Amino acid sequence: MSNTSNAKREKGAGSKTASRAMDKVHASLRKRYRAEKRFRAYGLISVVVGILFLVVLMASILAKGYPAFRQTFITLDVYLDPGVIDPEGSRDAEVLRLADYNRLVRGSLQIIFPDASGRTERRKLVALVSNGAPFQIQGLVMEDPSLVGQTLTLEVPASGDLDMLMKGRIDRSLPESERRLSDLQIGWVDTLIEQGRIHKRWNKALMTRGDSRDPEMAGIWGAVKGSFYMLVVTLLLSFPIGVAAAVYLDEFAPRNRWTDLIEININNLAAVPSIVFGLLGLAVFLNFFGMPRSAPLVGGLVLAVMTLPTVIISSRAALTSVPPSIREAALGMGASKMQATFHHVVPLAIPGMLTGTIIGMARALGESAPLLMIGMVAFIVDVPQGFMDPATALPVQIYLWADSPERAFVERTSAAILVLLAFLIAMNALAIYLRRRFERRW
Amino acid sequence: MIKKSLTAAAVATLVMTGSVGAQSARDRIHIVGSSTVYPFATVVAENFGRSTSFKTPVIESTGSGGGLKLFCAGVGVEHPDVTNSSRRIKASEVELCASHGVNEIVEVKIGYDGIVMANDKKAPGYQLTRKDIFLALAKAVPNGAATGVDSMIANPYKTWKDVNPDLPDVKIEVLGPPPTSGTRDAFVELAMEGGCKSFEWIKALKKADKSAYKSVCHTVREDGAYIEAGENDNLIVQKLQANPNALGIFGFSFLDQNADKIKGNAIDGVIPTFDDIADGRYPVSRPLYFYVKAAHVGVIPGIPEYLAEFTSDKAWGPDGYLSDRGLIPMPETERGQFAKAAKSLQPLKLAAN
Amino acid sequence: MTASTLLLFVALLSAAGFLLGRKRAFGIADAHGGVKSLHSLPGHYGLYTAIWVAVPALLLLIVWQSLEPAILSELVSRELPAEIQELPPERVGLIMNDVKNLVAGNFVSSAVSPEISEAAEHWLSLETTFRWIRTLLVAGLTGLGFLFAWRLIRPELRARNRIERVVRVALVACSTIAIFTTVGIVLSVLFESIRFFQYVPVTEFLFGLEWSPQTAIREDQVGGSGAFGAVPLFAGTLLIAGIAMLVAAPIGLMTAIYLSEYAPRAVRSVAKPLLEILAGIPTVVYGFFAALVVAPEIRGFGESLGLSVASESALAAGLVMGVMIIPFVSSLSDDVINAVPQAMRDGAYALGATKSETTRQVIFPAALPGIVGGLLLAVSRAIGETMIVVMAAGLSANLTANPLEAVTTVTVQIVTLLVGDQEFDSPKTLAAFALGLVLFVATLILNVIALTVVRKYREQYE
Repeated sequence: MSNTSNAKREKGAGSKTASRAMDKVHASLRKRYRAEKRFRAYGLISVVVGILFLVVLMASILAKGYPAFRQTFITLDVYLDPGVIDPEGSRDAEVLRLADYNRLVRGSLQIIFPDASGRTERRKLVALVSNGAPFQIQGLVMEDPSLVGQTLTLEVPASGDLDMLMKGRIDRSLPESERRLSDLQIGWVDTLIEQGRIHKRWNKALMTRGDSRDPEMAGIWGAVKGSFYMLVVTLLLSFPIGVAAAVYLDEFAPRNRWTDLIEININNLAAVPSIVFGLLGLAVFLNFFGMPRSAPLVGGLVLAVMTLPTVIISSRAALTSVPPSIREAALGMGASKMQATFHHVVPLAIPGMLTGTIIGMARALGESAPLLMIGMVAFIVDVPQGFMDPATALPVQIYLWADSPERAFVERTSAAILVLLAFLIAMNALAIYLRRRFERRW
Repeated sequence: MIKKSLTAAAVATLVMTGSVGAQSARDRIHIVGSSTVYPFATVVAENFGRSTSFKTPVIESTGSGGGLKLFCAGVGVEHPDVTNSSRRIKASEVELCASHGVNEIVEVKIGYDGIVMANDKKAPGYQLTRKDIFLALAKAVPNGAATGVDSMIANPYKTWKDVNPDLPDVKIEVLGPPPTSGTRDAFVELAMEGGCKSFEWIKALKKADKSAYKSVCHTVREDGAYIEAGENDNLIVQKLQANPNALGIFGFSFLDQNADKIKGNAIDGVIPTFDDIADGRYPVSRPLYFYVKAAHVGVIPGIPEYLAEFTSDKAWGPDGYLSDRGLIPMPETERGQFAKAAKSLQPLKLAAN
Repeated sequence: MTASTLLLFVALLSAAGFLLGRKRAFGIADAHGGVKSLHSLPGHYGLYTAIWVAVPALLLLIVWQSLEPAILSELVSRELPAEIQELPPERVGLIMNDVKNLVAGNFVSSAVSPEISEAAEHWLSLETTFRWIRTLLVAGLTGLGFLFAWRLIRPELRARNRIERVVRVALVACSTIAIFTTVGIVLSVLFESIRFFQYVPVTEFLFGLEWSPQTAIREDQVGGSGAFGAVPLFAGTLLIAGIAMLVAAPIGLMTAIYLSEYAPRAVRSVAKPLLEILAGIPTVVYGFFAALVVAPEIRGFGESLGLSVASESALAAGLVMGVMIIPFVSSLSDDVINAVPQAMRDGAYALGATKSETTRQVIFPAALPGIVGGLLLAVSRAIGETMIVVMAAGLSANLTANPLEAVTTVTVQIVTLLVGDQEFDSPKTLAAFALGLVLFVATLILNVIALTVVRKYREQYE
């Protein structure tokens, strides 16, 4: 209306008014372009801020965590004294297992430092080597009993404190009473360095072992496997059930009280704090169904119940975004409602559903609070071998290590976080690949 | 696609239900309980697992209360065999245990844990007395502590200097465990009550009205000077570094491991060191326990062997590996007594309490 | 045969059933004059047969697997000597555990008594018999199912409709799981909450202004005030969630708009997944970051301005939590914005609108219901978040709106109350359940409101 009357007026008023109007337009255009630029800048700033946060976080974790991937080792010449290991010469597995390998380690250290005398000094000397060293020798002997009587040159892990010293986390300049290692011990370490007996190597234990209270022997493999078993259960349950529920609610369900109730329920469950799901798991899976505590199966079930609403909500969003014309065309061609849905709508919505599922799985992978209630915040040394073996999960391991007094656990905590992030990035990479292949805009 | 994943899920569920039936036998000890005892029990468990042919016990950190709840829920494979506790079991809990068929409980005291008040290395050291601690942290303090009037007012002290002119002029800020924590409970009882008793009229109150006495001595102020900082002691250590004015309350083992970052403050003239806590000169230390279900011994593999490992001198002795982790050992006679009780599975009688 | 090989067996048979059923459908179609004489596609008949082969057998297997251990254990314990049988049931259970350990070949503690090793042998022989019976039953059921379906295949058989009915039932079952979960949650917190409300009146809990659960840990001790008024917790939760949303909503929304409307495809495909990593970082990490980096910075900055800042301010926890939920907002809004049809953009451009005008005045209103939904999800995540607040916000229950002071949240209190050292039937532990229930009910009410709002303004575009 006003546009046409303006045009008429301009026609009558001549070129002068027209140019004035154009000035106005130009002026407002400039303003609009500026607004446009500002808006665009806000967007860019938001993205940059988000990524900046990520970079800062990652950098701080990486800086703390990367030394943990290397561990200090000490080269020792260990005489496998038959008199200590197996005085009766039976070479029975049980005798070999229970032998005093500590004495062998002590003996080989004593050879290097013969002047360490007295009980306290000798204890301090042994404290340089990891508590795991005797068990390393035990493993070798158990594997090949014929080694008994030989002298082996072994690289045994150094204790957490020595490792910290080598990595510069223990300050030599501090007064002796404030250090974990005494002057005497540091002197020994210097001798060992001179003799070329100290090396830093790839920390294999971190990647291959279960939990331990000795930082140098502690690994995340048990937690990784626990998380893996749990996520398998979670994915297998939450994705199909979530997608099925979303398909029903979006494509088939009549609009009535019952579906409203379901919908409200789902939205509500997405908001329930995760620890409440732990309470649910405790009451239902453990107490009612009598499933064992600390089992990844139960953890997976709890996490599946927890991620289900997220999967359903994002799957529904993906389904809604498929234009109705697709459905109408399929129905028009004579497909049944079920065929239209499963042959046409769902395949188009799958990328969106995957996005939601991946977010849900990422949340499940990083979740520790509900696992507390079902016995998975636990010290478990043995690496789980199945869905029913006691296990922890990666975030739980991080939480437990973060709470450990030993200094060497600080960097291992960060290293465990790095591993967790590596898994997340791998999951996301998969999602990108899938999304790139299937994303489309209507 | 959907159908396929549905079938996949169904198949997986079945495989898993299949394995539930196959593996329901329990082949390892199950331990629950206090997060304070957790670092010690885990070390023992690990050594036990390595040096015997039994599987390493599973140890959950659930808090003493949660641990006892699980422990007392009944006898049988689905219930834990041992619970760690940073406080002694209560009579009501023993009753509850009994009502679920858990009758014979073996109590083992494992040693002591010192509770320290530490601050950043660079900050000035405090020479605290238990009276100072009480006056700084209680919700209500005697009116005009010096004048000796027998009434209480809401705690007016803002800085340590207000409490005691010898202390530095620094705002009172103490990071400590929440009321649900056993550490807090022990700290309140040992440090604050100790200071509280130094007022004669309050001491007299103890005989007259015990509950009034306790509420005077045990209530911690809630106006922000005492900051409930959760039970993650590492975090408290790091917060202390970030804020040199604050003091933190936590277990001795964290001080021991972080001696280059923080320092323990003297209480009643004694600086918390291993030896001073062990011989009882440092006033704030509390015992730690674990409880064993006698009915499970001989049925769940390895329980007597685990007890033997825990009560051996190489574990809890003065030179044992637990002392390396900051556990303060008991005197020799007490160790012998508890080792004997553990060996003979002598059931707990709380009447002695 | 073990359960898993049996499953594989059933799966293979089911696949064979599919092929045979389809083949038969083709055969019948040939006899009746081509595929078009069939009611459904031949594949539907195949699927119909496959369902009949697999489903009854699988149902049987599930029932069998869930009952077998109990029955076995019962049968074996009946054979135990009389003096063991007279023991209380939980003792018998422990002895049975010994038997099971022996059967599984695990290390057994004490010397094995002859009764127990006998029982273990009995167990093994029974188990073998059971396995055989199971295999035969399952095989029989698959055969029966197959024959049944095979005989039914006729041109008139409405195979597709029947399959669709089965699928529909499965879909409905999946969608009701949410209801079961809710019922489960309510049941698992309700009883403990009721016990709590016997100690503390509901009104005091809901409207009390003081939270200080300092009751006694031991019986010989008086803890102190012991107030259970939850208002400071609710206020603290809202304060922190509010700060988090102030960070996350604008940044997340602008990120979504930029990525979907402005960014080149390459930038988008890198930035979006990068941001999603933020959502995956374990909350423990954020907690450390908030407590050790952000909180001291804020404190230092505040004190340089002469403000008094608590060392665990709500601001620090809220800011870091906001960062964590940016990807929730951006990812979900991004999907919604993408779902707005291109035609609407083109229309706006044709009228001479700039991109930002199009976005603000056309796309944003169209996507609003979905964006609100995404924001609500983010709010709920903020309310339910635990670890960040546990580490960074502390536990002091102050009733304040000042973000520089320390507050506590409902979730923090739930965790602290549940894992503490206190006596386990004290009101303190029970309070955790009551808090859980209240949180649950509160979010339920919020969701009902949100749902009605969103539904009222939802539009479907083509």
